[in-house]
Amino acid sequence: MKMKKNLFGQSSDFLQNNLVPIMFIIICIICYPLAGFSPSYLLNEIVTRMGRNIFLILSLLIPIMAGMGLNFGMTLGAMAGQIALIFVTDWQIWGIPGVVLAMLLSIPFSVLLGMMCGKLMNMAKGREMILGYMMNYFVGGLYQLVVLFIMGPIIPIKHASIRLPRGYGIRTTVNLTSLRQCLDNEFAILYKGVKIPVLTFIIIGALCLFILWFRRTKLGQDMRAVGQDMEVARAAGIKVERTRIIAIIMSTVFAGFGQIIYLQNIGNFPTCTAHTQIGMFCIAALLVGGASVEKASIGNVFLGVILFHTMFILAPRAGAAITGDAMIGEYFRVFVSYGVITLALIMYETKKRRAKSQGGQLLAQAQREGGVRS
Amino acid sequence: MKKRQLLMQLAALAVCIALGAVMMIIGRGHTVYLDNKTLEDYQGQTYKAAHKIVVTVDGKELTKLGPRERGMSPCIGQSFKMSLEITQEKGGEPETRVIQLDLPYGMDGIIVNLPALLAGLPEEAWMSEFIPAPEPEEPDEEVPGEGDEFDIGGDLGLDDGLDIGGEM
Amino acid sequence: MDKSERLQQTRLNQLVNTYGLPRLIITGFLIFLFIMAPVAGADFPTQITNVLNRFGWNAVLVLAMVPMVHSGCGLNFGIPLGILAGLLGATLSIQFGFTGALSFVMAIVISTPFAILFGGGYGALLNKIKGGEMMVATYVGFSSVSFMCIMWLMIPYTHPSIVMAYTGVGLRNMFSLDNFYANVLSDFLKIDLNPIDVNLVIPTGSLLFIALLCFLMWAFLHTKTGTAMTAVGSNPTFAKASGINVDRIRMLSVILSTWLGAVGILVYQQGFGFVQLYMAPFNMAIPAVAAILIGGASVNKASIGNVVIGTILFQGLVTMTPTVINSLIHIDISEVIRVIVSNGMVVYALTRKTEGGK
Repeated sequence: MKMKKNLFGQSSDFLQNNLVPIMFIIICIICYPLAGFSPSYLLNEIVTRMGRNIFLILSLLIPIMAGMGLNFGMTLGAMAGQIALIFVTDWQIWGIPGVVLAMLLSIPFSVLLGMMCGKLMNMAKGREMILGYMMNYFVGGLYQLVVLFIMGPIIPIKHASIRLPRGYGIRTTVNLTSLRQCLDNEFAILYKGVKIPVLTFIIIGALCLFILWFRRTKLGQDMRAVGQDMEVARAAGIKVERTRIIAIIMSTVFAGFGQIIYLQNIGNFPTCTAHTQIGMFCIAALLVGGASVEKASIGNVFLGVILFHTMFILAPRAGAAITGDAMIGEYFRVFVSYGVITLALIMYETKKRRAKSQGGQLLAQAQREGGVRS
Repeated sequence: MKKRQLLMQLAALAVCIALGAVMMIIGRGHTVYLDNKTLEDYQGQTYKAAHKIVVTVDGKELTKLGPRERGMSPCIGQSFKMSLEITQEKGGEPETRVIQLDLPYGMDGIIVNLPALLAGLPEEAWMSEFIPAPEPEEPDEEVPGEGDEFDIGGDLGLDDGLDIGGEM
Repeated sequence: MDKSERLQQTRLNQLVNTYGLPRLIITGFLIFLFIMAPVAGADFPTQITNVLNRFGWNAVLVLAMVPMVHSGCGLNFGIPLGILAGLLGATLSIQFGFTGALSFVMAIVISTPFAILFGGGYGALLNKIKGGEMMVATYVGFSSVSFMCIMWLMIPYTHPSIVMAYTGVGLRNMFSLDNFYANVLSDFLKIDLNPIDVNLVIPTGSLLFIALLCFLMWAFLHTKTGTAMTAVGSNPTFAKASGINVDRIRMLSVILSTWLGAVGILVYQQGFGFVQLYMAPFNMAIPAVAAILIGGASVNKASIGNVVIGTILFQGLVTMTPTVINSLIHIDISEVIRVIVSNGMVVYALTRKTEGGK
């Protein structure tokens, strides 16, 4: 009897923990025949998007490990990456050397922005996510200031092809023709209409290995300790604030690299708006993969990218097939992405609150017992 | 211990800077424009365009150039190697030459006049900079990229700039 | 002498501390703009008119922040939910054939049950996640806005002036209120000084309406329920101990905020003259939040005074910067300044330590 209950409890636990991925699998299965895409087209799209997005999403893992929640501030890294790309385009560095140089150049910007974000997050403990989210907009304003007004008169931009005709500022779109898919095309394998960007996947694999290794280092262990309980970690002699700042800096730097990989695949970017949605849909993808605000693994990233982007490709067509209006599908996928994040946040907060009240009850009980004894 | 750490950090920084410098050199892209055009009156001499020049770069045939035609090749790095198959007169025997050029770092577009180059003239005779006409600012239309951004805000025709001031 | 100087210095410090450095900078900047306005060739009364108009459009939306801040629910990033209730009221009122000033009244009436419904659900949700309200509120707002995007297409509206022209199915992105309630408030008892060559127009009706709502809010906060709300916000444990039903009070505050959001968007529309649907409510939370913070509110403290001052400062910034700065230095930098100021203000407020419980 007891075992049965246990089994039932387990399966309902499994359901609860994997509710979102299961929901997405069902949505994808329903949408697939309605959309009517050929398997090879769909597979090609998914593989492309995996190469494009996974690096960005992996950058979210480290702050989660450090207990700082979903790093909505990863957008700062994306901006750093874009600034680096603007320079590389202006200096006319092409191909893989261009990408490598852009990554190197993005590091100082990312570190600076990450440090700022981390420091502010330390001032707003418990509100890291909303702070990171607002930082997007705030730093987005600074980014616009730099890109539209400071680049040109103060930071020299030589090339008329990326400068606005008025003489300062960057054009609305930066063309990355000379960098376009240079990583993806290196050692690419074409198999039955599916292009596999081998080098990009190797880079992603390297980052995965790095994260796995990093978890075992002293710093990684410290981060996990800080994520478990800040006060305990502090008592154990860990520099909590410093560890948290490092976690955010690492995330920002990786997000910068990720954005460069993302944009070299796309081949151009709207100067002022390319970064705005990136945090949102990376976070949505990670959550779709079954991650939560306090726990995420590399497996979640891969599963999430596949499920989220399958839905993303299928939904407009399927929506059009059902309702006869393509816009409904578009709105539907936006709704689902936001809905997933909302759901994950709600589940996280209720769980946190339950744990807190449970802790309180235990404490009260202990006190009562102690009172009896004395 | 502290000193060693500092040293390591400095070394890492140096490696990054060095790597960046190397990338800047080997990654500098140029566009080489190859002109098969008669060069007139260079120090009193005229170098006539060839009847046909077949240009091969990296083992791939780039273009066939008749007189007054221009070919174009992107080139990463400062060394450009091409092999030319030149037919001077119609019906003549083609002659193959492999030519390696050192490109100047500061030039984006480089025009190479092939007849002058083949005649072995000095560099300033056959090399000139290509200066593109400034392109007009493209209208604010969506670039046909293959992005998967959520089409929120701007793209739905809502950014009339009349609202109370959204953040974007 | 030395002593008084030091005293002065500490006073200055105190002023900075209580007033807040960013607020000081913004106020200073605004004063600078007012002084520079004649230099830049901008007509002073016109500027005042613009600020007053903008104030009339936005003040109620900012006021909608107050109840939730009071009950400790934090800044209402979920205001899009209230806006959606307002939009439902607006579209249904037009759909049912009301015109003129009556359509405005009916829009408020129709949006009320929606606001209570949405606010109730939203409040129940926020009661489950005490402490994490702001982030969840943001995303509740986003997901409900995108959900309503689907609804705007699916609800069978038929009124010709609001549905899409070519298909007749689904609502337009934006439609004019010219035959409905455009300017019903601002034209009421309007004082127009243009005949005596002063470009000053005072939208008396709007200001009166706002004053009325502010007064009601003030009065409410001084009733028994209102003081209970403040108690819940400043010290939930104490409030609970003194027998206040915390969850119920919080729920009430959320409903009130949501309803004010609904009324706020209707007031905004009557001034603006258009109804914007679909993704438009998305970006309406942050300006309202920024405005009340500029006015001196914090994450857990807000007064009616904060609302009025904040809206004037923020809207002053929004209307003055483009005209003054652009004509001074001929660079269209105002948009960027606005983005940095408003979002910077929110970031600043979030990093402040809050008294009382989180």
